[in-house]
Amino acid sequence: MKSLSSVGRIALFALVGAFVLVPLAQTIITSFVSTLPRAGITEGHFSLVNYLNILYSPVLKEAILNSIIYVVLNVALCLGVGLPAAYAFARYSFVGDRQLFFLLLVFRITPTVVLSLPIFVLFAQVGLENTPVGIALVHCVFNIPISIWILEGFIASVPREFDETAFLDGHSLPSFFFRHLIPAIAPGIGVTAFFCFIFSWVEVVLARILTTTGGKPITMAINALFGFRTDFGLVMAMTVLALVPGVAMIYFVRNHLAKGFVIRT
Amino acid sequence: MKPYDNRAWFLVLPALVIVTFVGILPLVAVTNYSFQDLFSLNNPYWVGVDWYRNIVTSERFYASLGRSFLFSAIVLSIQLPLGIWIALLLQGSHRFVVSTVLVLITVPLVVPWNMIPVIWLNFINPNIGLAGRTLAWLGVAFDYKFDALHTWIVLVVMDTWHWLGLVVVLAYAGISSIPPAYYQAAAIDAASPWQVFRFVQLPKMKTVLSMAVLLRFMDSFMIYIEAFRINAGGPDGATAFLSLDLGEEIQSFNYGPSAARSIVYFLIVLTVAWIFKAATSTRAPVAMEPAKELTT
Repeated sequence: MKSLSSVGRIALFALVGAFVLVPLAQTIITSFVSTLPRAGITEGHFSLVNYLNILYSPVLKEAILNSIIYVVLNVALCLGVGLPAAYAFARYSFVGDRQLFFLLLVFRITPTVVLSLPIFVLFAQVGLENTPVGIALVHCVFNIPISIWILEGFIASVPREFDETAFLDGHSLPSFFFRHLIPAIAPGIGVTAFFCFIFSWVEVVLARILTTTGGKPITMAINALFGFRTDFGLVMAMTVLALVPGVAMIYFVRNHLAKGFVIRT
Repeated sequence: MKPYDNRAWFLVLPALVIVTFVGILPLVAVTNYSFQDLFSLNNPYWVGVDWYRNIVTSERFYASLGRSFLFSAIVLSIQLPLGIWIALLLQGSHRFVVSTVLVLITVPLVVPWNMIPVIWLNFINPNIGLAGRTLAWLGVAFDYKFDALHTWIVLVVMDTWHWLGLVVVLAYAGISSIPPAYYQAAAIDAASPWQVFRFVQLPKMKTVLSMAVLLRFMDSFMIYIEAFRINAGGPDGATAFLSLDLGEEIQSFNYGPSAARSIVYFLIVLTVAWIFKAATSTRAPVAMEPAKELTT
């Protein structure tokens, strides 16, 4: 692999970058173009009209808020229950630990479409449909396993003496978690939050079946924009906005991704 | 060794409660539905294994199963080597290059899944799309709607665009966890780049790569929204994958048949997870081989 010259290497990376960016470029360009005939704007010319339309649309603004609420709730929930569980897996063996780990693996890879029908029925019965809270909860089915895997790897790389010293100093388990463990594995928490965020942010099958009449996130609001005469500029502008938080997250964790992390199976 | 302490259960309990509510409980419910004819949910009529018999005796099911396997096989055989190769090239690169490439390549991962086909349909549109117009200009008669091969090409390229970043991130995570001492030892033994890859890097990457294989296999095997929006399973059913049938039944609220289909698919998932577990738990000896082999 060392034989490839640095020029060839950069050329290849440029090619990969182009492969990623060119399809997106068209989306971004379309988002700045008026795609429907409008008074005062030439169709097909540069315009901010699509972004202004989002600003003037209560439905679209509410969808953005719904998305943010459910994804923040989901990440908080997954970190909150994932951290103690990851600590248990990293530090102790207990009855059924391997079976439980296997169960988490199974639920991580179960396609959402397989669970969507019963989840729809169950959530309708307990009143969790048409609300961001329902989406936040249901996305835990694949995000809790992810948070446990990634956090477990980070906790396992902290030597056990670290815990023992803290306990000898008189820390209780919660106080040890907040004062010592969380600061020590901060990059791990960032990486975990990143993966929980992306998998929850992009999921649409469960989000769709749970928000038939209300509480629609961005993805479903975009679906609702398709109709007899679709305003593609508006669709693309919403898509670009939907990318912004994700790209920001990637930017923040880029160095942690570059340093690498360990995942145990 | 880790100390044995069953009090650890208290720490996993909150996670287990949520997973039970959103995972296990729905599965129990769906198992129940799958043996009944539910015109409405209050009106169950026991039909036994009828729905299951309908599925496993239909040719359509096996045809979809075959197509899904083929799609996963193609996708894995492209994305895995490509992802590993990019990760290997990244390893020797400048820190700035590494983070730039990683940022770029993970961008498609944050695109909502229902927008991926919209972006690509726009991109390959023969009238307005950059790729569509370029192909037309080159004189290629590209017709993703009526030519099965072209639909397949679009799906494979689109899936690679979407998921290559995950393979690269995981492979790169595996490579960067290798201590420099391993490379120094390999250099002393005058190992070729291929030998370094085969006997140092690949064994150390095995865990994350098996993870990548599992995630990529399952997601491509059950591809749904992305494939459906491109050509709705067409032309003439050539891209009708497993999930499409299930999606259609759920959309029309056929509780019984879709419940039975969900269970059949879940059993496939369970089998895959079990094979994966069995394959990754017998791994200890491989990592120790290189010392001997490298000197030859």
